[in-house]
Amino acid sequence: MSMVDRALKIIFWSIVTLTYLPIVVMILFSFNSSRSKLVFTGFTLENYISLINNANVWESFINSIWTAAVVVLVSLLLGILMAYAVVRYKPRGSTLLDSLIMVPIIIPEIVEAVTLVIFLIIVGFKLSPLTIIIGHVAFDAPLAYLVLKARFQGWNREYEEAAMTLGADEITTFFKITIPLMMPAILAAAFLTFIWSYDDFIKTFFTRPTGFDTLPVYIWNRVARGRLELDINALSTIIVAISFLFTYVRMKLVKE
Amino acid sequence: MEGDTFIDKIRRSRSLKLFLLLGPGLIFLAIFFFAPFVISLMLSLGMLDKEVYTWYLTFEVTLRYYIRFFTNPGTVRAIILSFYYASVTTIGTLLLAYPMAYYMAFKMDKRMKTTAVFIIFLPFWINFILRVYAMRFILHEAGPLQQGLISIGLLSEPIPILGTDIAVIITMIYSYLIFMLLPIFGVVEKINKEYIEAAYTLGAPPLKTFLKITLPLSKPGIIAGSLLVFIPALGEFVIPILVGGGRAYTIGRLIYDNFIRISGILGWAMGSAAAMVYIGLILISTYIYFKFVGREITLI
Amino acid sequence: MASRRDFLKVAVAGAAGLALGGAAGYFARQGEVDRLQKEVERLMEQAGVEAPQLEENFNLFNWTWYANLALIEEWAKENNIKIQMDFYESNDELVAELELGARAYDVVVPSASYIPSLIEKGLLQRINLDKIPNHQYIPESFMGREWDPDNEYTLIYSYGTTAVAYNEDKMGGDTITSWGDLLDADNPDSILRRHAGKITMLTESIEVMDAAAIYLATQKGEDVMDWITTLDENKLEEMANVLIKQKPYLYGYASTEEYMEELPIGERFYISQSWNGDIAGIIWDSDEYEVKMTILNENIKYVVPEEGAIAWFDNFAIPANAENIENAHAFINWFLEPVISAIHTMTIKYPFPAGIKYVAQEIRNDPTIFVPEDLYDKLYWTSLTPEMEALWNDYWQRVQSA
Repeated sequence: MSMVDRALKIIFWSIVTLTYLPIVVMILFSFNSSRSKLVFTGFTLENYISLINNANVWESFINSIWTAAVVVLVSLLLGILMAYAVVRYKPRGSTLLDSLIMVPIIIPEIVEAVTLVIFLIIVGFKLSPLTIIIGHVAFDAPLAYLVLKARFQGWNREYEEAAMTLGADEITTFFKITIPLMMPAILAAAFLTFIWSYDDFIKTFFTRPTGFDTLPVYIWNRVARGRLELDINALSTIIVAISFLFTYVRMKLVKE
Repeated sequence: MEGDTFIDKIRRSRSLKLFLLLGPGLIFLAIFFFAPFVISLMLSLGMLDKEVYTWYLTFEVTLRYYIRFFTNPGTVRAIILSFYYASVTTIGTLLLAYPMAYYMAFKMDKRMKTTAVFIIFLPFWINFILRVYAMRFILHEAGPLQQGLISIGLLSEPIPILGTDIAVIITMIYSYLIFMLLPIFGVVEKINKEYIEAAYTLGAPPLKTFLKITLPLSKPGIIAGSLLVFIPALGEFVIPILVGGGRAYTIGRLIYDNFIRISGILGWAMGSAAAMVYIGLILISTYIYFKFVGREITLI
Repeated sequence: MASRRDFLKVAVAGAAGLALGGAAGYFARQGEVDRLQKEVERLMEQAGVEAPQLEENFNLFNWTWYANLALIEEWAKENNIKIQMDFYESNDELVAELELGARAYDVVVPSASYIPSLIEKGLLQRINLDKIPNHQYIPESFMGREWDPDNEYTLIYSYGTTAVAYNEDKMGGDTITSWGDLLDADNPDSILRRHAGKITMLTESIEVMDAAAIYLATQKGEDVMDWITTLDENKLEEMANVLIKQKPYLYGYASTEEYMEELPIGERFYISQSWNGDIAGIIWDSDEYEVKMTILNENIKYVVPEEGAIAWFDNFAIPANAENIENAHAFINWFLEPVISAIHTMTIKYPFPAGIKYVAQEIRNDPTIFVPEDLYDKLYWTSLTPEMEALWNDYWQRVQSA
């Protein structure tokens, strides 16, 4: 291993470690017996017990997951189609189109949230989980587009052309060649849109109906009760544990 | 039969193809993004008003909300501070993310790559606000980091970091890193390794190969990542409030304050005007950015 | 946790037990103890009886950490009402929600300053006092106030002041008596200069600007009311200048959540402009499920400066677009039940005027919780309009970005 490689390895893993620091703190404090976020007073499992008994937290977590999943699917679909169209067919005015598609990413969220609600009121649209999804897709589809387009660029058309020379039609080529080649970028776009939607607070807060909490809104309401970390930290710990397990099992499976 | 002919039609017609590919996205955005955007524009020009919950057109156009925005001396300072935070954050995330993406793309096998993406993604399962709180705890004078440094003798007494620009920037870099990393990784990963090997075979030194081949080829990822970091960082207002001691007054906070702190239509109008100026500023700065750095992302 | 099912009974009995046991030393006369006992019995009977013709749902929009929510949930359960509680941290958020009207809430709790403008815009609906017989328990001094002279739209919820809290241990013998202590940047001997970097102001623009207004008005011997309602740019300029000069000596502007965490520790800062209710929450132990009379942080002091302070009065109101109007009235009526109000006060340590008679003496006499009556003529109240908010916000932005 060369010096550069070693340096890269050290850089990579130390940054990853640093990003885990807050998580470690959170996990540690999920076992704290007092309410304080600053002072660790003693070990307890109480937070986990109260978490298990708390139906609302699970409900809001599931709400977050399913709305984010729908948002990711719809955004990817719209984003892939648009990016493919622009790169493959180079329509006239695509630069203008690009700037227009960028605007949803640029506009401050609070502005978009409030005006979207005003629009929904004017056209008589009732707030529901669907309005949350709509609000998120309006941001996430352009986001997916941006990431996917970066990947499409300088795109090696040889494979597609080869497939078509061999008699595959365009649609088959798109599904059999283009999409699999795009997979890493699709994955990256899926992760980004998921993070954004799963974590979004402002837009969700404005577009949600009463009685439908996502996890960030629920956490906000917990801050309201002055009982933030009791079981939310425990929940975070469990989420981290599950995703860690998932990653680990996946790694093992792929190895074999 | 009919299905066949329809598909045949699609095969033949370029514009039909374009319509089917672009249509759904554009129609969606036209309804659910641009309509609200037009409402915002109309609010900023004083063209909308309401009576309890009934909205109507005022049939007038005024620039008074824009004038008000520009005549406030606080505005310019907020804009400058926001640009400062956003630029430092973008450069910081780039400097950290590029080596990471490079390492992942070139030094990891296929299985490890996906695992690495999962590992990097894992902290993001935790709510943003909770992560910022955790960060605040870490930077705290009585927190584990500073106390740890003191106990091993690297620090003689705690330094107040919270409430300073440094705290804001560290937390912003931490929060936005993944938005830089993933697009760069997506692009660097697809670079054909044969080019690089060819360069080595031809005797090019590694540094030169990197500067002449790898870096230019990763440009679209860098540009996409920079936009994904710079733009939200410019409008960020939660981090300056939570770790900036309420001191760091950014354009994002200014717009938020207008929208929320001033009741009703007046606040929405003033906030919209500020937002329109802000959008204009971003469009101008991305234009300049494209001009100097390149615009692979918009030009095909 | 296990007691949740019978929570109402336990809580009522707890409050009664406390009173009966004489722990508070308040119920001196046997007559009053008997009355409370009867009250408790009546309530416990009522709890079993289903109230007639109530709607299925009830949406409450209230301030954060501002009622015993477990008790409210219990009320909903007793009445078979599906309750949804949402929270806001500032009047601004509430007003934005009411202006948009996208979500229908049945009861909201706006501050008096915002009420005249909400009424004028038609965003609140009239309340029917006949359906709220318990309004008779509200002390006279809180009825028919300036913001709603005939109580057509609102009834008092709770009240308090915006002043200064500090951690006594860190002050080195200093105390705070005036706004000048926090605002006088020219005098090197002022508290501000001597405790530089250890002081915070609130993040709420109006509150911070009002502090400067009260300070400047009394210094000049002018009418405080003129200053806190001013649209005069010269006055606003002066206020902004005081705050800009103060800024370098501040730790920063701290939210409720932040100063509640930091004040008891006193490391990063130990003097904060703050709301009395929050400070009461640090001083006293509070628990939704139990009346706790324990003092947690005796070293935290809350003072109303000699120049006076802003008082806030939060009120029950029913939004124009409320959907469950019967439930809204039933809820307000339930809350104003003296024993219920008292339990709210005893558990979460906010003053609910209707219950003052049944509140233990230590809590009733704590000036941090119940504002002492001799301060009343030094407390100021303003009515806000969007134009005033916008103008004040302009000057606030100057301070913030300076």
